[in-house]
Amino acid sequence: MPPTEPELLQGTLDLLILKSLALEEMHGMGIARRVAQITNGAFEVKAGSLFPALYRMEHAGWLTSFWGESETKRRSKFYRLTAAGRKRLKTESARWERISLAMASALRAT
Amino acid sequence: MFGKRKFECELDEELRSFVELQAAEKVRCGMPPEDALREAWRELGGMEQVKEKVRDVRSGAFMESLSQDIRYALRTLRRNRGFASIAILTLGLGIGANTAIFSVVDSVLLKPLPYPEPDRLLTLWECSRADGRFDGVAAANFYDWREQSRSFSRMAAIDPYPDFILNGAGNATAQRLSGADVSADFFALLGTRMALGRDFLPEEDRPERNQVVILSYATWQRYFAGRADILGRSVPLNGTDYTIVGVLPRDFTFVTKSSDYHARNQFDLYRPMALPSPPPEWMRGTHPLCVLARLKPQATQQQAQADLDRIAANLERLYPRFDKGIGVAAVPLNRHVVADVRGALLALLAAIGLLLLITCANVANLLLTRAVARGREITLRAALGASRSRLARLLMTESLVLTASGGLLGLLLAYAAVPAVVRHLPADLPRTGEIAVDGRVLIFTSAVTLLAGLLFGLAPVLYASGSLRQRGRGIAGGPSRLRGALVIGQVAIALILLTGASVMAKSLWKLLQVSPGFRSGDLLTARLSLPPQYTNHYQFGTGVHREISAVQQRVLDRVRRIPGVESAAFTAYLPLSGADNDWAFYVEGRPPKPPGEFDAAHYRPVGPGYFETMGIPIERGRGFTAGDNEDGLLVIVINQAMARRFWGAANPLGERLRFGDVKWRTIVGIAGDIHHDGLDVPAAPEMYVPYAQVPNVEARPTIVLRTAVEPWSLAAPLRRAIASVDRNIPVDQITTMQQLISNSAGQPRFRTAVVLTFSLLALFVASLGLYGVMSYLVTQRMQEFGIRMALGATHAAVMRLIFGQAARIVGIGMALGLAGAALLSRAIATLLYGVAALDGLALASVTTLLALVALVAVYFPARRAAQGDPIESLRHY
Repeated sequence: MPPTEPELLQGTLDLLILKSLALEEMHGMGIARRVAQITNGAFEVKAGSLFPALYRMEHAGWLTSFWGESETKRRSKFYRLTAAGRKRLKTESARWERISLAMASALRAT
Repeated sequence: MFGKRKFECELDEELRSFVELQAAEKVRCGMPPEDALREAWRELGGMEQVKEKVRDVRSGAFMESLSQDIRYALRTLRRNRGFASIAILTLGLGIGANTAIFSVVDSVLLKPLPYPEPDRLLTLWECSRADGRFDGVAAANFYDWREQSRSFSRMAAIDPYPDFILNGAGNATAQRLSGADVSADFFALLGTRMALGRDFLPEEDRPERNQVVILSYATWQRYFAGRADILGRSVPLNGTDYTIVGVLPRDFTFVTKSSDYHARNQFDLYRPMALPSPPPEWMRGTHPLCVLARLKPQATQQQAQADLDRIAANLERLYPRFDKGIGVAAVPLNRHVVADVRGALLALLAAIGLLLLITCANVANLLLTRAVARGREITLRAALGASRSRLARLLMTESLVLTASGGLLGLLLAYAAVPAVVRHLPADLPRTGEIAVDGRVLIFTSAVTLLAGLLFGLAPVLYASGSLRQRGRGIAGGPSRLRGALVIGQVAIALILLTGASVMAKSLWKLLQVSPGFRSGDLLTARLSLPPQYTNHYQFGTGVHREISAVQQRVLDRVRRIPGVESAAFTAYLPLSGADNDWAFYVEGRPPKPPGEFDAAHYRPVGPGYFETMGIPIERGRGFTAGDNEDGLLVIVINQAMARRFWGAANPLGERLRFGDVKWRTIVGIAGDIHHDGLDVPAAPEMYVPYAQVPNVEARPTIVLRTAVEPWSLAAPLRRAIASVDRNIPVDQITTMQQLISNSAGQPRFRTAVVLTFSLLALFVASLGLYGVMSYLVTQRMQEFGIRMALGATHAAVMRLIFGQAARIVGIGMALGLAGAALLSRAIATLLYGVAALDGLALASVTTLLALVALVAVYFPARRAAQGDPIESLRHY
């Protein structure tokens, strides 16, 4: 089911974008596709959420961007993780795991 | 915001590419291409909406990072209090001084005149074709110019000389009111609306019809308690009843050059001029008027000048006896008003600009020092992904926070200083009443502050980006060279300012050394206004003004009995008071001059005992005695300048000359020259005439007292003595001769004080800069010095090394400064008296002063270098 509350998922979206870019640099469309893939289609990222997030993260210094050519020879803007971005990915992943573990155990409790 | 357009373009392109890629994918999944593209656009959810969301993030991020930067800047500055307070103080002084002086210059020089369309206002003068000298305008000439010119929508004149005596009611003493006669549309020309009542009517501007007056706002408040029912009331002035028809608005001023009418430009009341139409011929012979004109909307100043030239040529042909060789000069009012002070004020503005430059250089130096110390922090931030522009902004914000604080401090200083500056302004500066730290000044200060911030804020940014490019290697060379250059600049500017200040001070000193030609100490003076019953109703003729002589004699009798008064005498035009008069004369036995040419000299009616009281020496012959009265032989005393000019080596004693009244007067004495118009103005030919023998009425004589006690202490007894003769004689302008002399040097004194203050500030700031840069160099080279000393160099050798380096910086700075001073010397040459703009002694002394101060500034870092323990400094690095 696609998310209805983007704010709720801001941290999630940031983390997913960082994760998608961990292996290779990608354009916006590629990122959207990759997020859908790695979440097995659970998150369908809309342009209206994706691009503001990309801009914000670039400004925060986690991403840098450059213009390149897509697989269809279309001029596109590509994003790449910075050192700060990689660090962020590591700390956020750890935090997320802690939270999800805690949430899971909380929900299992009777 | 910068880069906004680029941002929009890129966002657009990125989103289009996104849609196209999405469509391409759908095609790969089997969708027909046109459906795929439509579907992709639909999924995007509206191009504009997406863009808007990104824009929100962008502006939010910008504001957020800006406030972050400011908070960060404040935090760092708090942590470095010493640095911050020195920087802010230096800036505050620089900006404050600039603001204060700008507020003066703005009000006097730059602000438009307080009239509608001020740039269409001209002043018109009679102008000698021979030497270009300006003169006031003869009433008949004004009449003809107005009738015959075609380039002006209006032309009006003002005669600034009439005085009125407001008869006291009951026991109150009479008051002298300064008045002006104006043509009926004078106020309409200036665009002035009355605060109360109406302007003059054209029919009131005729002889016998002009018993109406318009009051100044101050007169209305002071003598009529601001009551609204004064319109239509009559007031007794000079014994005639005048009807009040209007009151001028509070802020009305007739802006003029104060030297124009012997410092008369604030009038208590105005009366229609009432020129006869056509004016009689004698009205071409005296030149009392100031003429104003307003250009027609389409007319240019050149057209107006051509128009006037044509009329002047015509008048020259018609009235050669009066108008031969006389042209018309049209000068824009705003230029005319500041003609005498423009150069001096611009010099001041340049001086404070230089001071601000020094200040900026100094703060740039301080910031550079910090940038070097923070090199590691900056490299770290860059490594963590901060972009270069982001870092530049961080540093720039810090600089701007500094300047903003400095600017605020400067503004506060200016607020405090401006009233004091205004009090010390020379009395003859025009438009000083409008000086204030107002909106215009605030804009100026903000602009200067911002500019200063950008100027010195650039230094650390350049340095930081340079050092980033080099990735932290070899960063010592760049900034120290830049810092050296900054100090060189400071030394050069300080030397320029010091040179200017020293020649100005020397010039002022020389000026004040000039002997006025009489003994100026212990003289008290006051001006009397004689009511009409003494002045015999404007009769012209020698020997008909016995009432004046009589009342003067009665006043002198009383005044001489005041304890502490050694002697007393009357004169019409006191030296250095601004009052003056010229008369034409003809020497017996000389061939008559062609029409329009005549000999003239300054005309000085004085009473018996005047030369003795003033201390003016009689070089040959005699002075005046009580016997030189209405019934005695008509006599005259000339000064040396007049004897030289008109008799050369011959003896003028016993020669005779005459004025317009055609009575022969015998020269009986030659008096010493005095400086009547200013200490820097050479003595001009003067002829003294006994008061009792003058042909014209002098209703406003000045009394001079030589005192055995402090002159001011006799001011009240003098008033009482005169009141005991006649309560209806107003007394004003009580002052001492010393005060008049001091006032006459007001302009040079003011500008010298300002430039001197600034140059000393500049010297101080420059020496701080030198100290800073040398300390820094010493710290950097401590290791080197350690090695040198370990290898046997003596303390003295190390100190020599430091001093050598400092000497290079100071030497280059001085050379540049001297070159700059030479370039600027022409600009201030006109402001100087008796001293060359590049005075050798002045140059030598300021260079020495600067060298000494530099020596002190370098001594401390040098001593530190030499006293450092070589082992210690080697271990540390």
